[in-house]
Amino acid sequence: MVETISHLLLKTGLDNFVATHDWVWPVCEILHFFGMAAIIGTVGLVDARMLGIGKGIPIASLERFVPIGVLGLVLNMVTGFIFVAGNPVGGPQEYLTTLAFLIKMTLIVIAGVNLLVFYAFGIARIANATAPDGSAPVSAKVVAAVSLIAWFGVIFFGRFIMYNDTLLNALGL
Amino acid sequence: MIDAIENSAYAVWVRESPSIWAYTTILSLHAMGLAIIVGINTIVALRLLGYVPDIPINKLRQLYPWMYVGFTINAFSGLSLLAANLSNDSHNWMFYVKLTMILCAMINLELTKVRVFDTPAVINGTGVPAEAHRFAIASIVFWSLAICAGRLVEYPNFVEKWVGMLFGH
Repeated sequence: MVETISHLLLKTGLDNFVATHDWVWPVCEILHFFGMAAIIGTVGLVDARMLGIGKGIPIASLERFVPIGVLGLVLNMVTGFIFVAGNPVGGPQEYLTTLAFLIKMTLIVIAGVNLLVFYAFGIARIANATAPDGSAPVSAKVVAAVSLIAWFGVIFFGRFIMYNDTLLNALGL
Repeated sequence: MIDAIENSAYAVWVRESPSIWAYTTILSLHAMGLAIIVGINTIVALRLLGYVPDIPINKLRQLYPWMYVGFTINAFSGLSLLAANLSNDSHNWMFYVKLTMILCAMINLELTKVRVFDTPAVINGTGVPAEAHRFAIASIVFWSLAICAGRLVEYPNFVEKWVGMLFGH
């Protein structure tokens, strides 16, 4: 499975592109951090408001910044794809077999499913109807807490990709 | 002096301990703090620039303590990482660019508080000082440059090569 995916990723030729253009990796790193700040600043702030921080700010208004966070997510999926497919040392399989990377990807999926639940089960509608200085319903608070834990977990395990041995060691693996 | 700091028990622990709470956790805290302060500051700036006008500006004032939380996390994690890497970082000019940008961004954040958020017009919700736009743009510019410089601290060879190519020496 890992080999099949690696093989497909290598077909993009990104590994060669990264190896022959030294600016690609640092520029993608910079953009990856911009994307991260955009997600936390928008989605994270809506979550914080639903948990009771910043009362007086209408939840529905704050949600209008979320498209910037979605833009950040797309930016990070593109730059992240370049990191994995274009990894100059070790190739894609190095990422795909790294526990910290797999946990990070799982947390992104959890954050995504959580967002779907937020919109598909009508929780967003109830949350948006909250008075500007009111408290969000418990369902929205749960979604917000899951979202914050997932996104900060993404940052945490993202940084551990380069230090995976420390993680394995701590887990006794 | 540099050696003494870098070889202090704390700096050695940060750098060399196999504990999960040492170097990597502190590094990830530094990214989280960045996301908190830059994320919130950018939303505040966008509102001051006129986006999403139905958010009452005076209500954003209460987000300041949360930006200070982000800053405190990063002052602590940043000083820890600096102590651990002091001999390298102190010779990396990009690190000083980063610090200068953060200093400018924080001064700008405080000026925004005093000259925008604490003005009677904003407190009473009757208007916004015209200079709010300037503070907002400055905040986005300073934080963006701080992130760029911060990331480039990790690539000194790449920076030297490109600076040499662009400015010819």
